[in-house]
Formats: sequence, C-alpha cells, structure tokens
Amino acid sequence: MQPDFKSSTHLHVIRLALTIAGVLVAGILLRQALLPAGYGTSGRYRPGAELDEANRTVRNLANDACLACHPLIRKLHLAGTHATVSCEICHGPGVDHVQDGKLAGAMPTVAGDVIGPVCLRCHGQVARLRPLDSIRMVSASDHLTGHRVRADNDCDQCHHVHAPMKWVREAREMVGLAAEPEGGRPWTN
Amino acid sequence: MPLILASAASAAGYVFPNDLHVYWGLMIVLYPYITGIVAGAFIVSSLYHVFHVQSLRPVAQFSLLFALAFLVCAALPLLVHLGQPGRALSMFLTPNPSSAMAGFGYFYLAYAALLVLEIFFIYRPVLVLRQQAATGGRRLFYGVLAVGSDNLSAEALAMDRRIVGVLAGLGIPMACVLHGYVGFIFGGIKANPLWATPLMPVIFLLSACVSGIAGVIVAYVVLSKMTGRQPDRACLRTALRFLWGFFLVTFALEMLEIFSQAYMATSHWQTLRSLLWGPLFNSYWVWQVTVFSVIPLALLGYLSLQRVSATVFRVLAPLAAVMALLQVFLMRWNVVIGGQLISRSGRGAVYYDPGWLDREGILLSAVILLLPVAVLYGLGRILPLWPDAGEVSEGAPATGSLNLSSVESVKQDSGEEFA
Repeated sequence: MQPDFKSSTHLHVIRLALTIAGVLVAGILLRQALLPAGYGTSGRYRPGAELDEANRTVRNLANDACLACHPLIRKLHLAGTHATVSCEICHGPGVDHVQDGKLAGAMPTVAGDVIGPVCLRCHGQVARLRPLDSIRMVSASDHLTGHRVRADNDCDQCHHVHAPMKWVREAREMVGLAAEPEGGRPWTN
Repeated sequence: MPLILASAASAAGYVFPNDLHVYWGLMIVLYPYITGIVAGAFIVSSLYHVFHVQSLRPVAQFSLLFALAFLVCAALPLLVHLGQPGRALSMFLTPNPSSAMAGFGYFYLAYAALLVLEIFFIYRPVLVLRQQAATGGRRLFYGVLAVGSDNLSAEALAMDRRIVGVLAGLGIPMACVLHGYVGFIFGGIKANPLWATPLMPVIFLLSACVSGIAGVIVAYVVLSKMTGRQPDRACLRTALRFLWGFFLVTFALEMLEIFSQAYMATSHWQTLRSLLWGPLFNSYWVWQVTVFSVIPLALLGYLSLQRVSATVFRVLAPLAAVMALLQVFLMRWNVVIGGQLISRSGRGAVYYDPGWLDREGILLSAVILLLPVAVLYGLGRILPLWPDAGEVSEGAPATGSLNLSSVESVKQDSGEEFA
C-alpha cells in the first residue's frame, strides 16, 4: 500500500533539470554581461587591449629623478663604478617612493644579510649573467675566504653599495697596499 | 653551498638566478593532493554503487560526502597561489580549449555538479523525511534541498537508484579524467625531466586512489571512535585490500619509472640522479620510498593475508592508512617541488624550505588541509554520514552483472577473524 504523496513521481527530476537549465542560461547571460567590449571580434584577440596597456601607470623613474633629491648619494653614486646602475635595480619601482612630486612611501633599502643575492644577480660567477670583461664576477665563498674575512660577512661590510671600491681604496691607501690581492685588474673607485 | 644564497633558497652546481625561487610551492603540492583524495574517495563509493562490493556499504555514502568536502576545498590552494583569484573566472568568460591549465576548471566544475547530483539522489529520502519531521526554517531548508518534492514512492525511489547508477558509472571516468588530468599538467611539461613522462597521469591517478581510500579509512575509524560507534571490520578489511592493491601498483609504477630511466641511462638521467641523490634524497628515498611505502605495504599485506586479532587490526589498520596518506603527500611534494629544484642548466640544483607564515607557507597549508574536515562536519550536521542512522537510505544497489572476486572473499572472511 503506497502512501499518498503530494508531489508527482518525476517532480524532483523535472525541477532539477529546470534548475540546471536555469543555471546554464544565467551563466550564459552573465558571460554576455561580463565580457569586455570588443572581445571576439578578431578571434581571442581584444582590440582594446593595446590601449589598456598604453594607459597603464608608469611605475619606473630614471636615475636623474632620484638623484635630484639625494645630492649626497648623487655625488657618491656618479663617482663610483656603479654610476650607470639604475637606482631601481636595488630599490624597486620609484613610484612606490614618489608620486606627483610628493613622498608616497619609504624606499626599500637592501642591506645586511639580504644583500648577497641582490649583488650576485650581476656579480655571481656561478650564473655568469653579465659579461666577464666589464663586470667583476665573484664566487661568494671564494671571494670571502680569498680576502681572509669571515665566510658569513655581508657584501656591504666591505663595499659601499653606491661606490663599491671607495672604502676598499681608502683602506688600501691607509695601509699602503697597492696590488689587488686576488689578481684582478686595479679598480678605480 | 654558497652561504650567501641561503636566504630563501640555496643552490649547488650551476644554477641560473631565475631558478633560485621555487614558484610552485606548498599550495601546488596541496592542489593535486586534495584533488586526489576527492577522486579516490569517489572510487570507494563507486566500488559499492557500480561494482557492488557489498561490504563497503557502511562507507559508500560517507565517502561521497567526504569527496564533496575535499572537492569544495580543492581549488582553494590554486586561488591562494594565483594571488588574483578573480582571474580564475576568466576561463569561463573567455574559454580557451587549448589551455591545459583551464582544463582543470572545466573538469572540476563538471565533476562537482555530478557529485552534488549523486549525493542529492542518494540522500533524497533523508531530505524528504527530515523536512516532514522539521518545522519552521529547518523545514524550509530541507524542503529547498529536496527541491520541493515529497514523493518517496517505490517507483520514484527505483528511478533514483537508476539515476545514481548512471551518475556513479559516469563518475568513474570523470574521476579518472579529473585526476589523470592533474598528472597530465605535470607530465606535459617536456622541459622538465622529472615531470615529462606519459606515466605521470597514470601514477597520479593511482596514487589518488591510494590517498582517497586511505583518507576514507582514517576518517571512518576516527569518526566512529568519536561518535562511540564500532567501525565495521568487514568493510575496513575490504577497503584495506583495495588500498593494498592500488598502493602496490602505484609503488611499482613509481619505482619502474625511475629504474627504467636509470637502466636506459636516458639523456636526462644524469640530471635526475643528481636530483634524487641530492636535494631530494631524504624526502624521496628515505621518507617516500622506505618509510612510507615499504612499511605500510608490508603492514597492508600482513593485514590482508594473515588472520590478525581484533586489537592488532584496530591499531595497524589506521596506522597503515595514515602512512599511505603521508606517502602520497610526499609523492606530490617530491614531484611538484622536486621538479623545480632542477636548474634549467641541467647541472645544478636549488634547495627549498617553505616559510611558516608565508602566503603559501606551512601555516596556511595546514589550515587549508584541515578545512575539508570542517566542511565535513558541516555536511554531517545537514545529512547523516552513515547509512543506518535510523532513517531511510537509498538501500542496496540493484543487482548488476559485475561481481568482483573480492566480494566473495570478503563475505567468507567477515565474521571469521572478527566474530
């Protein structure tokens, strides 16, 4: 004896099928509403994409913009072997620091035990990402042991980051050393 | 190892600067792990619903809810990793059929729909009865879940059973595609010698079954203990046998893949050897292969072949399952992280240590890994986890033509050792 049911036998299947169809239709309509204008006119290419890219905010500045406000750094930086190195290579995008001529945030500085990987981006002998004849390549551990300093010394303990050879040159002058101990070419500043 | 590079990752040999950072971190380890548990748990359910392994009845419904709980969270690690999770929707707005990555979105959505539908048809009688017994908001809630139908006639239930059979049958290839596809994502990257093998989808799929079955076993034992119930031993024994079988095949394939590369001394072997005997030595040979494969395989073989006392079984069964779960996690780790430790130079390797509090760090990974448990708890508040919770369930499946030999053997076994 079957009890009486208010719903018909197939009601749940029909309602479920209608719900799925409804979700699909809603999805298609939502897609139409959300699709960016111009999409699909030339395959998957959207003509407006170029304009969007052109209108993106410029995040990087030139060295002149940085050095205009930092005269001491300017003097050091331009006199050293790092004179042509962009400020933003180590400090990150200028727009995080200055926007519309006003201070927007502190500029990150790289110092201490995090400085090694940054220096080795250009100076790492292992990677050899830069030409050997123009940039001094070092193998970090050989370099440190070769100079008879502690193996966990940070780069900026001996090198001023803006004028890498300044302190080294001054130290040599003080103690009367002339030759480059590792046998490299003499470095100016 | 140059000391100065030791801040995030450290390196040995010839390593390019853009190899130093491991971009696919812990989150991308979790993603195939969680997805695999979903696919594996679904297989447990299908063993009962499609292949009629009767002894798995106590976990047949539960494994579906278990799969759903993990499925809900499967995309979460990817969204955390993406950084801009809103972009995940782009695959539906501007679909690209040739994108292997977008493929996951389509398979995942289709599989989720199938799983929810199957759970709906299996639990419909429960939904209707709970609606009729409830009042107020609860009645409305269950009414909506039951899509407003109260028909539990024999004809309607028979139709539901037929639909469940079809969905479960469809679910098996879909579960295989879903997880085989995850393996394909890695196996299809031909520039990476550790990943680029057509065996990768197969190994991923089989280890997914291992993690899913092991996950269901662990959850079944733990939840039974927590609710003061006695886990069904015949069911556990069958599940352990399937776990043993899948684990054996998975482990054999994992080893064959490595040893055939070694024997053939393929062009990549030097690189692979320096990886497996270098940064991966502990996590691969010591943990994945020795501790978490050989030991649980021995335990599972012992439990499956020998008559053991109830006490020994109670201790060793969940232990073997937990170890199988850890093995699969280590396998995901060794594949995902290991593949990125090889430098593109092919002559060096980096080392990877996940941070505790990073966006993709250990803490957040633990939270994401525990989230399915919370979802399962929520599902358990809405639906009964076990078939004999005093309410009507979908009942035994219709007799089918498929009959696994294990069904017979389990029928013979049950009640002997555990009587």
